[in-house]
Amino acid sequence: MPSYQHIEPFLSVKQPGLARWLSYIGLGLGVLLLLSSIQLFINIQLLLKDKASTTNGADFISVTKTITNANMGKDNSFSDADLANIKAQPFITDAAPLISNQFRVKASAGSIIPFSTDLFLESLDDKFLDTLPPSFSWSEGEPEVPIVFSSDFMEMYNVFAPSQDLPQLSDKTMSSVGIILECYSPAGIQNYRARIVALSDRINSVLVPASFMYYANKNFGGVTNVNASRIYIKTTDANNPQLLRFLSEKEYRVNKDRTKFGRVKQLLQAVVSGLAGFGVLVILLAMLLFSFYLQLMIAKSQHNLRLMLTLGYSPGWLSKTVAKKWVPVYTTIITIALVLTALLQWGFQHQVMYERDELSPLIHWMVLLTALVLLMLSILTNYRLVKKLLSRLG
Amino acid sequence: MQIFVDNILPVFFDRANTANSQVWNQSLSFTKGENIHIIAPSGSGKTSLVHFLYGIRKDYQGSIRYDMNDIKNFDAEKFAVWRQRHISIVFQDLRLFTDQTVLQNLEIKRLLSPFHANSPVEAMAKKLGIENKLDKPCSTCSYGEQQRIAIIRALLQPFDFLLLDEPFSHLDDANRKKAMALMEEESQSRKATIVLADLREIEYFTSERTLHL
Repeated sequence: MPSYQHIEPFLSVKQPGLARWLSYIGLGLGVLLLLSSIQLFINIQLLLKDKASTTNGADFISVTKTITNANMGKDNSFSDADLANIKAQPFITDAAPLISNQFRVKASAGSIIPFSTDLFLESLDDKFLDTLPPSFSWSEGEPEVPIVFSSDFMEMYNVFAPSQDLPQLSDKTMSSVGIILECYSPAGIQNYRARIVALSDRINSVLVPASFMYYANKNFGGVTNVNASRIYIKTTDANNPQLLRFLSEKEYRVNKDRTKFGRVKQLLQAVVSGLAGFGVLVILLAMLLFSFYLQLMIAKSQHNLRLMLTLGYSPGWLSKTVAKKWVPVYTTIITIALVLTALLQWGFQHQVMYERDELSPLIHWMVLLTALVLLMLSILTNYRLVKKLLSRLG
Repeated sequence: MQIFVDNILPVFFDRANTANSQVWNQSLSFTKGENIHIIAPSGSGKTSLVHFLYGIRKDYQGSIRYDMNDIKNFDAEKFAVWRQRHISIVFQDLRLFTDQTVLQNLEIKRLLSPFHANSPVEAMAKKLGIENKLDKPCSTCSYGEQQRIAIIRALLQPFDFLLLDEPFSHLDDANRKKAMALMEEESQSRKATIVLADLREIEYFTSERTLHL
């Protein structure tokens, strides 16, 4: 059976000129742009993943009523009607009030940590917590109250502790610190032991079980029905324009970090997606150039190709043999682009990101898969074009 | 292996003008091993007939069947296989690759579907007196030399039928006889049929049947 080298003298195949080298370079740049955009997109996802506020695709944000000169001094808590209205919005998956203490609470840590302060306590529906150890529960009569403490607060404590001659606390040692909660009521002071059982990245508060808060507000504060000053809402997208419009209309404030954070991430993703789109365009243009070259080659060789078909050459075999000639070209270009992307990723992780754990120094499998798909598509498109051109000769 | 020709007539022919033809509008069969001599004056459609039989033209009425398969229904791949293994041809207009050498012209066909265990190109070229032309471009060969090249090319593959369209028009008597002898020898080794179409009777061609177009 003949091979390409036997039929090559019969085809008008010129050595690569400037135009062809330009199309090779164009294809390589396009592929590099696309692959590195995909890797960058993945890097953004990994680096800017806010584990605490986002779970299973949901965003959790805290909402308060905006305090203005007009409503300052008035009751700015959320009523049941407010809460029901919030829950009824289609862009809000769920909402829960943060119930705060209606009595004075003082916390101290005994002789180990000579620290004493007035404190605020809050409680929140368990399903909004990012961390829920089994020990976070309380029943009437239990002398010890579990606390879920904000990790931001813990970090703040560890920052100022040395200046106050107080010991810094690690995540492991914090649970061994015995806390005394002094609950003040008209009838006197009731002391409870307390222990930090978990740190929350999501909720900036000192949380106690809802059962304790209800009991304490009733027995020390004399109130059972407490309206919340803060609401936590669960939504699929903290940057949903409808959500933002609703909050604005209602004059509700949100913790802007979350939304700003989300906006930055969105912007970066948009830029990278734009780059990827540009990369695809460059690839398409390069492939178009290749196809022009193929069409020219086949047009110039049509007399000989037609005669070969007349003499018994199979159009399928001719298509495959001519198209196969391009496989090494595509493979080389895409491999070079892939290697460059891998080097860029390694450099990014090592030199720019100082070997952060969230990032791998290796390229993501999706980048590799994209390169393989691109290669297959190039080969297939090439083969189909050659086959189509040859079938017109037959 | 048989070719059945059923009432074929070129679409550009007037049926009335073919009343005396032994081919047009007739039902014929060509059996493998039976040589056919078609005598056709100029303009009678000799080349058209050969092209119809080879399948490169379909502008005719009627049908041509190879065994029971109408060749009008062959797709490009089926034609390719058929032309590699079952039918060979010497075109009247030769259809060589003029920019390539004689050897390249022969090898491009031989490699496709070789019949001989070892390449017979040099031996055949020597028999027909063109052994010194193998590395020369075809365009530098005379028309007679090119005819001999086309003849050798047709004999390098397996075939059941060998179609010849005025293959000796530019050969002298001696070369005609040598070429005919070579073709008959190769045809007999394949137990194949030669269908020779020419303006006049070729006396040194042994045929079982003679048809007038």
